[in-house]
Amino acid sequence: MTPAIETRALSKRYGSHTALHDLDLAVGPGTVFGLVGPNGAGKTTTLRLLLDIIRPTAGTVRVLGSDPRTGGAALRRRIGFVPGELRLDGRISGRALLAHLAEISGPVAPGAIEGLAERLGLDLGRPVRTLSKGNKQKIGLVQAFMHRPPLLVLDEPTSGLDPLVQREFLTMVREARDAGQTVLLSSHVLSEIQQAADDVVVLAQGRIVASGSVESLRSASVRRLRAVVVGTPAESLRGALAQVPAAADVTVVPSPSADAVHVAATVRGEVDAVVRALMTGRLLDLTVEEPDLEESILDLYARTETDR
Amino acid sequence: MTAVVTRRRPLPITRRLLREGTRGLLGWALGLTAVALLYLPLFPSMQTPELQGLLDSLPPELIRTLGYENITSGSGYAQSTFFGLLGFVLLTIAGVAWAAAVTGGAEESGQLELTLAHAVGRTPYALQAAFALLLKLCLLGAVAWAVVWALNSPAELALDPGNLLAVVASWVGLGLFSASAAFAGGALSGRRIVAVGAGAGVAVAGYGLQAVANNSETLEVLRAFSPYAWAFGQAPLAQGWDLPGLAALWLGSAALVAVGTAALARRDILG
Repeated sequence: MTPAIETRALSKRYGSHTALHDLDLAVGPGTVFGLVGPNGAGKTTTLRLLLDIIRPTAGTVRVLGSDPRTGGAALRRRIGFVPGELRLDGRISGRALLAHLAEISGPVAPGAIEGLAERLGLDLGRPVRTLSKGNKQKIGLVQAFMHRPPLLVLDEPTSGLDPLVQREFLTMVREARDAGQTVLLSSHVLSEIQQAADDVVVLAQGRIVASGSVESLRSASVRRLRAVVVGTPAESLRGALAQVPAAADVTVVPSPSADAVHVAATVRGEVDAVVRALMTGRLLDLTVEEPDLEESILDLYARTETDR
Repeated sequence: MTAVVTRRRPLPITRRLLREGTRGLLGWALGLTAVALLYLPLFPSMQTPELQGLLDSLPPELIRTLGYENITSGSGYAQSTFFGLLGFVLLTIAGVAWAAAVTGGAEESGQLELTLAHAVGRTPYALQAAFALLLKLCLLGAVAWAVVWALNSPAELALDPGNLLAVVASWVGLGLFSASAAFAGGALSGRRIVAVGAGAGVAVAGYGLQAVANNSETLEVLRAFSPYAWAFGQAPLAQGWDLPGLAALWLGSAALVAVGTAALARRDILG
């Protein structure tokens, strides 16, 4: 199947600063794809390259089978885009602005704009400059979804939205996927990606540092482990855990009351080896905390930082 | 998908800019009308020997710099007080502000990114925006023609309606030239301030060059580089159509718009 989006060795430099290094990306049609990373990771640069708002320094891009540079207006008619920093000013009402954009990008089904506005709780009658950040963002979402484009490119789409509207947005994304639309969304709000995306790419400093399904990232992630062990001296536990590469930040504290030993560690990947090391004694208590994708990704950032 | 195909009306960008600019356009039209109403009705009361004496007593350099050589005729008076002075200033400010808003202003506000993410190309955007600019300036020209013509008899200006049209064409062309310079500056840089600087710079330099040229026969050649001189150097309100001057203004404007459009189509849109 042809990917909805494919980039090969895509690079973007601004003078001496490289915003994006050799990005290889493939987004399958009908999937929800997440682009995660901190500010300055290259997320917005990538998305703007897809829309031909900026042009690549090197590498190739294919969006819905076309090069954005030559695909022109006909290609962008098939894309819905929410810019990363949506600023709206002017006396124009939300309804008039959306009607104008619909006129450029249409066709928009009758009632589509009103329907989306109602779902998101957006007042279309007010001048856009008087809207709060969240309500401006809703205008951004409506203009991206209204013509039901085959591809949605959403840069930080939930910024400024309250939790109820965020939930409605996630429903809209799922509906879009069910209708066969492809969704590429970026975020540093990881919970958003965790709930919506099938696949995730993690960017840091313009490079991919991790990619895969949300599940695979989770299993490769960091867990917090705490245990209470009796029948083994603290020193030998410390020694056994030191042999386990997956364990880090190990603290072993003998309890003053009994011969119990409190162990805490962070575990990368499988917990098996760590638990086996603890089994030299008798396990009184064991908790392994469900990893948060947020923590995993912060861990990935940290590793990228130390690698250089 | 049951999307109803709506009839696609042409020039969506131009229509939006005109619709959103209605209020501003009205303001500028009122301003120009007020200036005309302020100055032109004074003409009959200035037809006195005292005024001629006053003018004769002023240094001729000052008279030439201000362009007041023919101020005692109706056409010279309307030219010097309205088209060549405050009317020129107001039209230039309006045109430059509009041109800066659709280029650097739209880019800095993020509006351009949002618009261009939809199904409109860079070149069509630029050309439609320039067309809106042209239409607005022509509308102000129509207002100016109508107001001055309405004051012609009451103010005893004795203007020829055809010559009035000729000077309006030059005047609009002059405003358009500065606006086009602003358009090119904004489209090249993506910055509103560069657009305003380019437009205002061209207007001020054009006025300055012809004022210097008026006072020196050796510097007469500077006139050739002054859009202000292209517009008014042949006194179209008295003499009628100045085709070479009009060609310089209007074709020059077209060239500046073409430069701006080409630049916008080639570069990255700033965030």
